[in-house]
Amino acid sequence: MAVCVAIIGKDNSPKFFACLNPDEELSFQYKVLSSLDVVEEKLSAGNKAGSDLRELYLGMLYSLETHKIYGYVTNTKIKFIIIVDSTNMVLRDNEIRSMFRKIHSEYADIVSNPFYTPGEQICSKPFLNNIRNIMTGTV
Amino acid sequence: MNGTIDIGLVVDRRPLITCAGELEVFSSIEDNLAQALPQDSCEWRRSMGRPIRNVHIGANFTPYSSKALPKGTQWDLIRQPLFHIYWTECTDVDIYKSTLRDDIDGWLKELNAKDITDWLVVVVENYDGKRTNKLLPRTTVLDKIRADFAPKQGDRCISVINPGKLESRSADSWRGLVSRIRHLLLVSYAKAVARLEDYVRQQRERRNEIGWNFMQYFQLQEELAQVLEMLGLNDEALVQYDELDALLSQFVANGITSECVNWLGEFQKPLERWHGLKLGPSSLSKTPSILELRAYLYAKQAQMLLLTNKVWEMASRCLPFLHTCTRELAILEIKAPPGAVACWLFLASMEVLQTCDKFNHADEVEEYSLHTACLWEYASQKLKYLGDLCGLMPGGEPTSDQLHTVVGLSAGMGDNPGPANSPSPTDKLKSALIHQDVFNKTYLELAELAMGTYKHIGRLRSARLVGREVASFYMSLGQHQKSAAFLGDLLRTFEQDGWQELAAQTHLELAECYKKAGDVGKLIRSCASVSSAHEIDNIIRWTYFDEMTRHAESLDKSLAVPFENIVKIVSVNVLNDENVIMLDTKVHVELVLESNLPRELVCEKVDMSLEAVENKETSKSNEKYCKGRSLSSKDLKPRDPMLQRLKIQRNLDYKQDKQLASAGIVSKFTELRRKDSTQQVCSSEFAHALEANKLPLRLSPGLNVIRLSKLADETGKFYLGQVALHVGKLAFVSATLPHRLAIEVKEEKPTLQLNKRTPTLISGVEQLMNIILTVGSHPIDPKSTIKLTSSRGLSFQIGADRPLATTLEFEVGAKPAYSSSRYALRVLADMLGKEHHVTVAAPWAAKPTAVTLNFTPPLTAAWRLHSARHRKWVQVSLTGQCEQGLTVREAKLDVAGVCEVDGKNASSSHLIPNGMTFSFMWELLIKPGADSPTIKAEFSVSYKLDEDSEERPYRYFFDINDYQTLYLLDADVEPAKGSEFCRVGAVCQLRLAIAQTRASRERSLMYEVLAEQSVWAVCGRTAGVVGFDGSELERPQTVALDVMPLASGHLPLPLVRISKYIPAEAGNDKHGKGDTHPRLEPFSPGQVYNASKGKQIHVITPVSDGHPT
Repeated sequence: MAVCVAIIGKDNSPKFFACLNPDEELSFQYKVLSSLDVVEEKLSAGNKAGSDLRELYLGMLYSLETHKIYGYVTNTKIKFIIIVDSTNMVLRDNEIRSMFRKIHSEYADIVSNPFYTPGEQICSKPFLNNIRNIMTGTV
Repeated sequence: MNGTIDIGLVVDRRPLITCAGELEVFSSIEDNLAQALPQDSCEWRRSMGRPIRNVHIGANFTPYSSKALPKGTQWDLIRQPLFHIYWTECTDVDIYKSTLRDDIDGWLKELNAKDITDWLVVVVENYDGKRTNKLLPRTTVLDKIRADFAPKQGDRCISVINPGKLESRSADSWRGLVSRIRHLLLVSYAKAVARLEDYVRQQRERRNEIGWNFMQYFQLQEELAQVLEMLGLNDEALVQYDELDALLSQFVANGITSECVNWLGEFQKPLERWHGLKLGPSSLSKTPSILELRAYLYAKQAQMLLLTNKVWEMASRCLPFLHTCTRELAILEIKAPPGAVACWLFLASMEVLQTCDKFNHADEVEEYSLHTACLWEYASQKLKYLGDLCGLMPGGEPTSDQLHTVVGLSAGMGDNPGPANSPSPTDKLKSALIHQDVFNKTYLELAELAMGTYKHIGRLRSARLVGREVASFYMSLGQHQKSAAFLGDLLRTFEQDGWQELAAQTHLELAECYKKAGDVGKLIRSCASVSSAHEIDNIIRWTYFDEMTRHAESLDKSLAVPFENIVKIVSVNVLNDENVIMLDTKVHVELVLESNLPRELVCEKVDMSLEAVENKETSKSNEKYCKGRSLSSKDLKPRDPMLQRLKIQRNLDYKQDKQLASAGIVSKFTELRRKDSTQQVCSSEFAHALEANKLPLRLSPGLNVIRLSKLADETGKFYLGQVALHVGKLAFVSATLPHRLAIEVKEEKPTLQLNKRTPTLISGVEQLMNIILTVGSHPIDPKSTIKLTSSRGLSFQIGADRPLATTLEFEVGAKPAYSSSRYALRVLADMLGKEHHVTVAAPWAAKPTAVTLNFTPPLTAAWRLHSARHRKWVQVSLTGQCEQGLTVREAKLDVAGVCEVDGKNASSSHLIPNGMTFSFMWELLIKPGADSPTIKAEFSVSYKLDEDSEERPYRYFFDINDYQTLYLLDADVEPAKGSEFCRVGAVCQLRLAIAQTRASRERSLMYEVLAEQSVWAVCGRTAGVVGFDGSELERPQTVALDVMPLASGHLPLPLVRISKYIPAEAGNDKHGKGDTHPRLEPFSPGQVYNASKGKQIHVITPVSDGHPT
């Protein structure tokens, strides 16, 4: 069960933010923002070495005492960030990876929606519900 | 730590070698051997496809004892004597046979009894040179031993020349011995290691069994790690420690619920000591706490990493290690005094950081900085937590409880003093916990280091977030300026990345900061930002809005606040219909603003500045943006410099010899220039400004449509500049609008035009022209007069009935603005001049302007004299020049009475259309032979344009000279004698007859035959001179010339021209100077009558052609 999912646009501004506990949203925002540093670092490092371009999953970006932060970048430089409680032992790399894949497909759906202008904040309720389901692992 | 191991604390895992036989022999070389063994590497081959490694093996020597021999099946062989050497110095075969053989036999039997095969017999020889002379082999003691004990494994017996005696030959045999021992020892050691590995594996398999103890297993596997370390395989030793680490983590994470791992319960004791982590050699106490176990494990891993020069990996493992520790403390529910764990974590991170500091090569720093940055941050966080706990934060005083806590924590840390110049982390923490100043300094130092390192590795956002912590710390220190600086940086980062919510939060913090600092100007700005942030709760926004208005009222000087997100310009429209606005009319602009403020804002004044456009700026590039009449939100967005089209130019470099040196492109990409980070709030003047129509304006939340207007009182081009909303002394000022919207104010002056009605003006006829007066943007004084002055020969008048005059004045009269009025101007020019001028003087023009008018005459005339022997006719042809036809009548020729004239013309009137020629003919009745004075002829005719206009006379003057006929010229072509006709190609005769009709001074004439070359060929001479003596008038002189027709048909005769011939000597008289050439002078048209002009001769085709003609 992830505690927070964020979608960051290619300009690094937040497009979507979902937290299990809305009170914590602000503190998660700070965490996600600083994780962007690591994302950028990984992306620029990936460009240098001929790493696998098809691998979108960036792995764990960094860990805090309480949380672990994972990243995923689409080919269009949309970043997905998942924050997991560090006491959570159930979610391993593979689970996180599949969670990211589900988010990616949800994102692809919302971008395909003609009523959504790419680059704007995502405020679709069904999307929020789907992401919440992914977070809690009910999908 | 510098890579060498302090032996004292490390368990010695070198293999044991027993020595039997003559021990005194061995003792002399023991030290040498112990040193020589680990000096060189040896290949270690292992089973199960593991790679071959080069290892260094050392050994400990012990005297042989049969009781200490292990069994071959023991797992802990590694701790037992592994290798056995029998030393002997005996060289005498007989002694060998008597005693030595039995001794070795007994020794070997004992070994064999324990299944030990790792042995060696060494014969030490004291080289005396005898041996080389021995002819028979197999007679030495060594040979005997080999034959007796190791017939199949000769390498188990070796001889060595006593290295005690320094001789060159001994070195080789010594090396041989050492490498033999090394090899055999490694073989046996490898067996022991394999046994140990098997045992470790076996033990691990049993880990879920009841009674299994991690600590025992830990020691076992650590032994393996130590063995590998001893062999110099630090990386493999690390793997062993990593396995232990992972195993422990797994047990803690999963095993706490299971009953099998009751050994974990031993760790679940309250934490009593939190001595700082110490890298470097360390030992583990018998009953370690989980922290101590973890710390020991990490220290070991770090040691292995440092030995393999992986400082960065040590740093990178630190934070996960610390996180694991805290998590495991939580999982195991270990009770610890508050702050104890934080102390330990702080000390651990500081220890690692200090260790890193020792590796200060540039590339090492580069590598580990990536990982130390977060460690610095972590350490600063822990320290801050401790500061909070112990009441050390600025502005607070520790209570007695908190002081107790400090004492407790300090005691738990133990003593770990560092050298005087570099205090250990424990020293630092202790003094920071005691003195508030030290605490502040230490915290800020750590935070600065964290920020600096983050910036160094390019993690700007993380650095800014540390800055946020520092800002709040400075805030509590009361240093608001510093705090504001950090928050400002933070805000910029958030805004750059578009994190509005965080930006709003930072605005909130900034507002708080300015409030404390008492900076009213900045406070108002922040309050405005906070109150316009949608992300913040409405109640807070209202509070800050009220605060803003309250402070704005107390302002003692004006303050400008940029729009930013507070108010947004949605669109700007110029409402005037025309593109160009006339002076003294009103400019209307509609401004749509979106106010993000939570409540209505009452603005006393709303201005929009106008910026005059410099003339230079009106280049083409700007013009395309000036066309629009409105700016939408799309236009107002700042343009992304990355999306700009690059201005790329070709760049060719030439060498001195004009050859191309290089070709390339240059781009003047100026967008990346550093932008001025301090925003210019008020750059334009509001002296010329559009103002809101309705004041005071209530700016309500959401969209507001504001109409602005201004009387255009100055001409020129203006850009719409900035918008300013004034609330008391507070002004919200927008950024300068993009220079796309321009207002052009113009003034139109009255103009006067003089226009032709017909395409051409004709002199001599009264015509109408138009004077068009256009009144411009401003009416003119009705009394002002316009004065027209004409040049000579031109007269005009406005009124239809008044007489024509050369000057004319008229009053303009009351005319509204933009009206235009037309006056008909009657114009009459005489026919003497073609070009006339009208000078117009108007009161609004500085000087009179001259207009040139071109007139053409209505008719043109030409005359010609015709002769027929002595009779003369004059032909006058008139050509019409008017667009309309002219009616002409009463043509007259007046020759002033020299002679009679006889008109041959019809008396009726004639219509001459434009461009047509009409001829009149008169015969001059003159007597032949009479004098021929010059006739001053005057041709006159009346013409009128149309039926209504009055007739005007047209006169044409010309002189007629030399009209009397002097010579008669006749020519004839006759066929050559004997032929009837002239034929093509046959020579004919041209006969010229020239007769003088009057006596004249000219005595000689020259005739020239000007035959057309395609028709006639003149054979022989073509010109000649004929003389007249003047005695016989009318008696022709004849000349015959040979000519040949070249074409058949009726051919005109060759043209003959005669001219006056003035011989050379006659010329001398006239001019006085030597004119040695004769001259020719032509006759005037009336003087020669050429009778042959119309004659033709019929030429037929030549006979030879056979064609009849």
